[in-house]
Amino acid sequence: MSAGKVTFNGRLRVLLALAGIAGAVIALRLADIQLLRHDRYLQLAERNRTQVLYQTAPRGRIFTADGKAVASNAPVFDLYYLSAGPKGEDYLHRLAGDFASHLGMTREAVLDKLQQGVKSGKAVALAENLSPKTAMALKELQLYYPGLYLIEENKRIYPYGIFASHLIGYLGSMEGDEWKNRDLSLDYRLDAKIGKNGLEKKFEKELKGSDGGVFLEVDYRGRVRSVIEDRRWRPGSDIYLTLNFDVQRAAEEGLKNSITGRGAAVALDPRTGAVLALATAPAFDPGMFVPYSDGPQPSSKRISEYNLATQGVYPPASTFKVITAIAAIEQGGFNPEKEVYCPGYYDAGSRVFKCWSVHKHDNFFDGMADSCDVYFYTLAAQTGSAAIEKTQRMFQFGQPTGIDLPGEKAGNLYGPTKRARNRSYWFIGDTLNLSIGQGELLVTPIKMAQFAAALASRGKIWRPYYLDRVVSNQTGKVLQQGKSEVLGTVDIKPSTWDLIYKALKHTVDDGTARRVKISGLDVYGKTGTAQNPHGDDHGWFMAFAGRPGEEPSLAVAVFVEYGKGGAGAAGPIAREMIKAYFGIEDKPSRRARSLRQSVLENADPAALVSDMQKIQAALQQPDGEHI
Amino acid sequence: MTKYKSRLHKGMMDWLLFGAMAGLAFLGALCIMSAVNSVSLSNAVVRTHLIALPLGFTAFFAAWSFNYQIFDEQWKPLYGVILALLVGVLLFGTYQRGSKSWFVFPFFSMQPAEICRVLTILAAAAFLDRQGHHIRDMRTLVLLGALVLPVFGLIMLQPDFSSIVITFPALLVLLYCAGVNVFYLALVFAFAAVAGFFTVAWTYLYLHPELLDYKLLDVFFKLSDHILYMGGFVLLVAVAGYAAWWLFKQLRIFLPSFYFVLATLVVLAGFFAGVFVDHQMKPYQRKRVEAFLAPQSDPQGASYNVLQAQIAMGSGGVLGKGLFSGTQSRLGFVPEKHTDFILAVVGEELGLWGTLLVLGLYLVILWRIAVVAYTASDRYGYLVCSGIFGMFLTYMLINFGMLIGLFPVAGIPLPFISYGGSNLVSSMLALGVVQSVYARRITSG
Repeated sequence: MSAGKVTFNGRLRVLLALAGIAGAVIALRLADIQLLRHDRYLQLAERNRTQVLYQTAPRGRIFTADGKAVASNAPVFDLYYLSAGPKGEDYLHRLAGDFASHLGMTREAVLDKLQQGVKSGKAVALAENLSPKTAMALKELQLYYPGLYLIEENKRIYPYGIFASHLIGYLGSMEGDEWKNRDLSLDYRLDAKIGKNGLEKKFEKELKGSDGGVFLEVDYRGRVRSVIEDRRWRPGSDIYLTLNFDVQRAAEEGLKNSITGRGAAVALDPRTGAVLALATAPAFDPGMFVPYSDGPQPSSKRISEYNLATQGVYPPASTFKVITAIAAIEQGGFNPEKEVYCPGYYDAGSRVFKCWSVHKHDNFFDGMADSCDVYFYTLAAQTGSAAIEKTQRMFQFGQPTGIDLPGEKAGNLYGPTKRARNRSYWFIGDTLNLSIGQGELLVTPIKMAQFAAALASRGKIWRPYYLDRVVSNQTGKVLQQGKSEVLGTVDIKPSTWDLIYKALKHTVDDGTARRVKISGLDVYGKTGTAQNPHGDDHGWFMAFAGRPGEEPSLAVAVFVEYGKGGAGAAGPIAREMIKAYFGIEDKPSRRARSLRQSVLENADPAALVSDMQKIQAALQQPDGEHI
Repeated sequence: MTKYKSRLHKGMMDWLLFGAMAGLAFLGALCIMSAVNSVSLSNAVVRTHLIALPLGFTAFFAAWSFNYQIFDEQWKPLYGVILALLVGVLLFGTYQRGSKSWFVFPFFSMQPAEICRVLTILAAAAFLDRQGHHIRDMRTLVLLGALVLPVFGLIMLQPDFSSIVITFPALLVLLYCAGVNVFYLALVFAFAAVAGFFTVAWTYLYLHPELLDYKLLDVFFKLSDHILYMGGFVLLVAVAGYAAWWLFKQLRIFLPSFYFVLATLVVLAGFFAGVFVDHQMKPYQRKRVEAFLAPQSDPQGASYNVLQAQIAMGSGGVLGKGLFSGTQSRLGFVPEKHTDFILAVVGEELGLWGTLLVLGLYLVILWRIAVVAYTASDRYGYLVCSGIFGMFLTYMLINFGMLIGLFPVAGIPLPFISYGGSNLVSSMLALGVVQSVYARRITSG
């Protein structure tokens, strides 16, 4: 066609407009991908290109007050080879030759792994779980062989085994919802070990450091291209406890070696409420929960997570006589010298209540020292149950001590008011039962320790605390500080305290608690044997002590389940704890002498039987560990 | 027309169009160098592209200096050249990636299908130019169909699916702009839709054999290769067409019976085209359709590629990571990064500004082609520009659409940017023809 008058339709213009609209849609979508979703995609791109050989950070250590690390870390090493470096056949042969002996492998095996690494281009682990000694040797060799990386991991260790296991807790793998509910501010990995119980769980955030690692740039087949960063880990914060290592150790050994091996022992500083020992038996070794590739998988192992010290409730038995005494003295008209005749029983009219022995004439001090039930029946009958319940409330019985541990039991307060609230009747027999700490009254061992500390501090009810401080390993700053706190004060006359102190001292010097008599110390104590209709009786021992002329600085409560008697089962443990605290050394023949002494001097028949057995056992096994 | 004429001034070259093309080529060269930086054959790729660039500009200038009207006059020999090239590649070509679509010479290799898509547009425009006032007739469409069918058939024999994906829409645009009756065009579209439906549906069933437990789907699937079932289907469609005609008659709606025959034939033709395509499809092509239909089903397969390309673009953000520093492309996460997915490299390294620049330059090219079309001194110039417009529009839509998840991965390069000498040379040749139309436009002086 020749140039001239040509007319074109407008259809191309329509298409151009459509192209413009399509361009706008594309531009919007591009902005959506590149602007609005940039962060998400950048994260994905980074994840694509990086591979990390992680180095688990050391967890914060846990120290006792005297500076012993009871939870610590041990380094383990993995050796990696990255083929991004030199990879000549010659080089590999030399490398394999030099490393084989250190790794405990044959030269061929090492060479094989190296060649695998070169072939695949990926990072290969030549050896795992190497000891620090091997690692030191390898570190020197590493200087001559680029491409080798020593990855340091940290493994949790508990150097003292069962030490304070119920308090410290243990570590484990994440299970169930733990991964989903993890703290996103911390760098958890799927195979991370987290605190499962006790302090390891409670202070997980503080204890966990941030992991380090060798960050590698990899291509789409996982072949290593370069090392982006070799990041050092940062350790977690250290925890300092108020625990006294020796006292805790003495308590645990004593419980372990006790007649049943079941029980609890608690020691408090009555001047602050600080926990010096918190032991429960049976205990476990938290180390067995830290599995590493070669160790056995312990998830199937059964352990007792039940913390008897804070969760076990039992009748306080004769230790409660102190409350009855305080109630009677405070009521007025109390004459400590007045004697009560104990024929071995108490006639309450409708029923006869037995004493555990026949004591003849006892005044207050002898009644306490002999733990004469009839003396306290008589006292309670005069004083009345309401006053005894009131005194219980002053010492906050029936309430938890408030120690910062999960699942603490409150125990049970017992008295006419409580009974009335439950719409039931109160009989004279209940008063008599109450006076000697039997019946519905229930306490935990830690409550008993709080009670002992309240007596030792002349009326201060402390909230027991075990955390001294949490110290950052990076800045050295104290992140958390444990505080001593008074929950309440028992407001009674100083003369009452003096009478109680005199009676409890008498009990130690010349009574049922004679076992804890230690020369050079003022020790006050009270035994208790809780009647158990289901089996052997439980043994209680409550004591506090101080150097002469100083205020008492240690309060102890020991409980041995099915221990048959307080003096025999719980007494020796308390004695060892007190000695450990005040640093009093053993004498060589102590064991035999104390055993014989307990037979001769201890009038508690239940304890007598158990001690007889112990003597026999000790004679048969000269190297036995029994006290 | 006067609106455009008034803006005319003397000039032999549309510099905006040339600038947009050169800008894209420059950007493309940079991105290819960056994309293959880490690949071991990088030198070969870059060298080839740097040789292809001057070749492309030579083709551009040659086409520009040539009077485009010669294609109109000599359209029959041109058509012969197309057929000769396509037959030649089937006889003497070399297999690469499962397709026999390459001529390999001692120093270079070329893909004749690339140049054929431009030549086909030139020949088809010449044919339509000759139809004069018959343009709205059915005859035109049928004849054009007869003309391009051998071309498409030969390309299918290679097979080079992606060439058809570009050329077919370009021809539709050309037909539309030529003034073909929209009803007939709709029929052609329906034909393509029917063929596409059967292809996609069968592919889906092919990849999900468990669905064949449903009797109806099983029968449907057997239509693809069972001669008895096919016969049944043909009968069914014929009966349906007759029934529709009868129904309309009963309803007293009188339409020419010719329409019903036509509709029936189109459906049947679409069906058989679907059967043909289905038999020609390669497993990797089926996978691509699958990835588009259900992107979640195969995260490591074809949709993985799109995802990685999107991660590359998204991670580039607004400003990009800078040339030669895109991790996604450099470390091989983006596949075909220097060819089909070059836009992902642009997005990762030059950011949103880079992708918007490429999009913008493409829109400038389309706009200038349209402007040139309306200033053409003859109808043939207008038609040629329309066809080339359709071709670049298709390239733009499919390439961007693939990256943003609107189209399946078709394995289609982005002209001027992607690596590929034949594509670059023929695309520049096409724009040279447009410039030739511009140089010979109606001028006021």
